[in-house]
Parts: sequence; structure tokens; C-alpha cells
Amino acid sequence: MLSLEGLTRRYGEVVALEDLGFQVHRGQLHGFVGPNGAGKTTTMRIVIGVVEPDAGTVLWDGAPVGADTRSDFGYMPEERGLYPKMRVANQLTYMAQLHGVAAQPARAAADAWIERLGLSDRADTRLEELSLGNQQRIQLGAALVHEPSLLVLDEPFSGLDPGGVDVLSAVLAERAAQGAAVVFSSHQLELVERVCDAVSIINHGRLVASGGVAELTARHGGQTLEVEVEDAPKGWWRGRHVQGRRGRARAAGRGGGRRRRRRRPRRQDRAQTGT
Amino acid sequence: MAADGAGADLDAKIEPRRVRDRAQAEKLVRDGDLDAALVEGRVVVSDKELPDKLDSALQVGQRQVSTGATLRRQGLSESAARQALDPPPLRARTLSGDANSDQKRFIALAAGILLYGQLLTYGLWVATGVVEEKSSRVVEILLSTISPRALMAGKIVGLGLLGMVQLLLIVAVGGGLALATGSLEATAADVGPVLLVLLWFPLGYALYASMYAATAALVSRQEDMQSATTPLTILILVSFFISFSALDPSGGGTLAQVASLVPFSCPLVMPGRMALGDAAPAEVAVAIVLMVATTILLVRVGARIYAGAILRTGKPVKLLEALRASRTS
Repeated sequence: MLSLEGLTRRYGEVVALEDLGFQVHRGQLHGFVGPNGAGKTTTMRIVIGVVEPDAGTVLWDGAPVGADTRSDFGYMPEERGLYPKMRVANQLTYMAQLHGVAAQPARAAADAWIERLGLSDRADTRLEELSLGNQQRIQLGAALVHEPSLLVLDEPFSGLDPGGVDVLSAVLAERAAQGAAVVFSSHQLELVERVCDAVSIINHGRLVASGGVAELTARHGGQTLEVEVEDAPKGWWRGRHVQGRRGRARAAGRGGGRRRRRRRPRRQDRAQTGT
Repeated sequence: MAADGAGADLDAKIEPRRVRDRAQAEKLVRDGDLDAALVEGRVVVSDKELPDKLDSALQVGQRQVSTGATLRRQGLSESAARQALDPPPLRARTLSGDANSDQKRFIALAAGILLYGQLLTYGLWVATGVVEEKSSRVVEILLSTISPRALMAGKIVGLGLLGMVQLLLIVAVGGGLALATGSLEATAADVGPVLLVLLWFPLGYALYASMYAATAALVSRQEDMQSATTPLTILILVSFFISFSALDPSGGGTLAQVASLVPFSCPLVMPGRMALGDAAPAEVAVAIVLMVATTILLVRVGARIYAGAILRTGKPVKLLEALRASRTS
């Protein structure tokens, strides 16, 4: 199990992460969502060890991660990166060896994954000669070739065609079923909802929510309608119901008191309805 | 024949041919099949003006033949005449310095050129590799398993070994060819200077490669790398030019002496001075000590800069920023 606790990271004035913590269990497909700039990439880079946090810990199976533990992790950075002039098969073999796999098994694993990703006829091509979609498949291969126990993938689905999305989802599900922990970030929310067992939501460097997909949907799900009414009498929404497309619900809300302003007094009430 | 012998002394090969008559001779000369024709032992016929070496050889040969004929007419025997015409040459003996100094100078020059070429080539190769890993972003994946120091060290050592092997090959093949054709005469004493050249490559390379790696880590594009590493390239170039002054018979004076001790120019200037025997053992010792100390220092600082800058893509990173970043990260 991957456990993040109290991660904090600042870049000068900017607070990238503030007291962030969540868990990713083995066998779990864990989605990591949030707006651009929320801190997803920074979090992943801390887990992988490329960035040091100002505070907080990263634990893998209860122990703090170090250089040797990290050789069991697979990483796919958001900005794709591999040696452009290196041939595909050699590159994957090298990546496996970097993670501690011996030469022969590394070669075998590279060949197996090239075949799995559907690129066996391009095994001897240089990376820069592949199409971008294929380059991305190799990027995924580089993260998987050494059979890691933890997969940290930053926007792995971005730029993939529907076929690629299917392949990737299948591969990730397979790895999770084999006992790996998989955490990935994505902006494609319906994909996350469909594929993941659990999700963590981050915004402005802080955790907003974390838990099973079903649980979160039940707790916070549904449509929220915000209504502002000027000059409304206090508590006007009490007892009222709202008729939506899917049914009726009681109104709930916060009532604001009278506020004196320079222009004219306004009473602002907000009503929330759940469908 | 006499002209042949004279030719050999002047480093030219003369091939004589017998020709039927004067007309035939002139035809062959005009057609270019013969460089010159000696007619009746008195006149040399050539198409354009005779090349200097051929002229000298023929004149000397002519002098020997006619002098020999005169001596024999005076009654001298064949062998006595030959001995009279070919007295033993003067032997050279120098009081200080080397009788063979031309060859040593050549070795020193070759050493300078080789080291210059290797340092520049492999230094730039290291820089190119560093920037390629940065611009292709592969460095992010690499650093998830290995430390920045390991990455930098591996690159420098790997390319250094390649450079060393290439240097050895060049020296072996070039030296072998020179010995085989007789351009160089090697004694046991000459092996020493050659080995010294090989010694200075690892030292000079370690120094420059670290600087190239650290500088290249500050930028993200190959074009920026060219301008960022220019000061280092100039340093190597200037040192190379100073090494020429060390080849001068005067030994280059203070400039060469100082330059052979300063760690940046030392790997290019010192080998030449050592090959010529101008460097005192004390100077060599000081140079090595300074070199090693500076290299260790620069490797450390270079590694810090590399670690702090390698993950920052985008605008070129300032030196101080990189040093500060490596302290916190």
C-alpha cells in the first residue's frame, strides 16, 4: 500500500502542496483528479523521488521509500520522455535494466511488452520515427517493463486514440488484478469513474476528497443548484421543494442576514436542492 | 647510379631509363613520360623548368661521374676512386639539448593536436548528451531510479573510456605507421613521452567534462548549449595556442611555463614541454597536484550544479539558482 502523509511543497511563494495525504492499496485502480495546477504532477514526482517534499512522508508497505524501493515503481511522466534516437527494443531493455532487472530477462520482458502493445514490427525502429500515439505506447511500456508493484502515471490517457485507451485500461486492470497498486491522473472524468475503484480529488494543493468511487458518488454526488434571490425574506426557502427532471427534493440552504452596504441593503440567500 | 645515390640523400627517388636516341628522348619528355633526359652526358633536357630536387641530384651525380673519370685517368683504382668521392659524413654531437630534437618537437606537436581534438570532441559530446536527456525529458524517468550524480558520472566515465580507447588507437596506428615508414625513429626513451600524453588525457578530460556537463545542465536546448559552452571551448583553444609557443626552441618562456601549471591549460601545454624535456620534475609534480585538486573540486561543484539544474526545463537556469536548488532538493 502506498501511503502519503502530510505532504507539503512550496516553490518560492507558490504553495504547490499543503498537507496532502491519501492511500493507494494494492490491487486498486486509483484515480487522481483535479484542475490544472492543483498539484497532481508535483505529488507524483514526490512519490517517484524526483522532487523532495518540504514536509511529509511517503510510505510503501509501511516503510519510507528509498532508492531501492523505488526500483519497484513504474513512472510515466506527463511530458513524455525517452531517448529519441534509441531503438525501441533496446530502450525498453535498458529501462528494465535501470530498474534492476538482469540483462537476459530484461530483453525478454521488453520483447513481450512490445508485442503486448502491438508494436512487434517496429521493435527495431528508433523512437523518433514512430507516430506520437505509438511513442506513447512505448512510454507506457517503459513504465511497465520491469513489472513494478506501484504504477504512477501522469495523464496516461491524454492523446490516446480510443483503441489506445482500451489497451491501456486493459493493461492497467490486468496489473491491478495481479496485485500492483495503480494510481493515475486524468482529466477525463467519465473514464476515471468507469475504470477506477477509488479516486482522490485535489485542488490548490489540498485534498478535497478521497475514497471509493461508489462511496464518493453517494456522498457528494447529484446536481447542485445555486439560487441567489435579491431582497428575499429571511428563510424563504424553508419548506419549499424543487421539481427537477428526476424527481422532487426538499430545499436546503443557508440564510444570510441583512447586510448593510453603502449602496442599498440586500439580503442574499442561497438555496441548495438535491435531486 | 650516382644520381640515384644523390637522389636518395635528398629524399627523392630517381628511375633511370635507357632511350634510343635524342629524338626519341625529346618526344618522351614532351609527352610527359620522362621528367628529363640526359643527352650525351652534357645536357639535361626537360619540358618545363627542372624541379629543384631532380636538378640537384643530376648535378651532384654529374659531378661524381666526371670527377671519378678524372681520378681514374690519373691512375686511381676503381675502389680508391669511389672512397675518395664518398668521404664519411660529419657526426653530430650536441653539448646540451637533443640531437634528435626535431623528432621530439614533432611528437610534442602531435600530442598537442591529439589532446586538443579529444578534449574538445568528447567534452562537447558529454554536453550534447546532457542536453539531449533534458530536452527529451527522459531525465525524469532516469532520475526516478538513479541519482543525478550517478547519471552524470556514468556519462562522463563512459565517454571518457571511449575517448581513451580512441586515443590509444590513434597513437598505436599513427605511431606504428610512422615507425614502419621510417618517419620516426623510436628508442626506448621515446616511449616515455608518448605515455605521458596518454596520462594527461584522463586528467584533462575529467576536468573539462565535468565543466561541460554542469554547463549543459543549465540549458534545455542544443542551440543554447552551444553558446553556454563557448567559454570552455575558448579555454581549450587558447591553451592549445599557448602549447605552440612551448614548441619554440626557446621553450616558450614564462608564458608556457605558467600555462603548464595552471590547471585549465596544463593538460595541453605540459605534455609538449615534457616531451621536449623542458619541464623539471618538480614542475610536473606541482602541475599534477594542482590538476588533481582542481579536478576534484570542480567535479563536486559540477555535480551540485547538475543535480540542481537538470530537472528545470524551459529558460536557461542561472548558476546560483542551480547551486541553491541542489541544497534544498
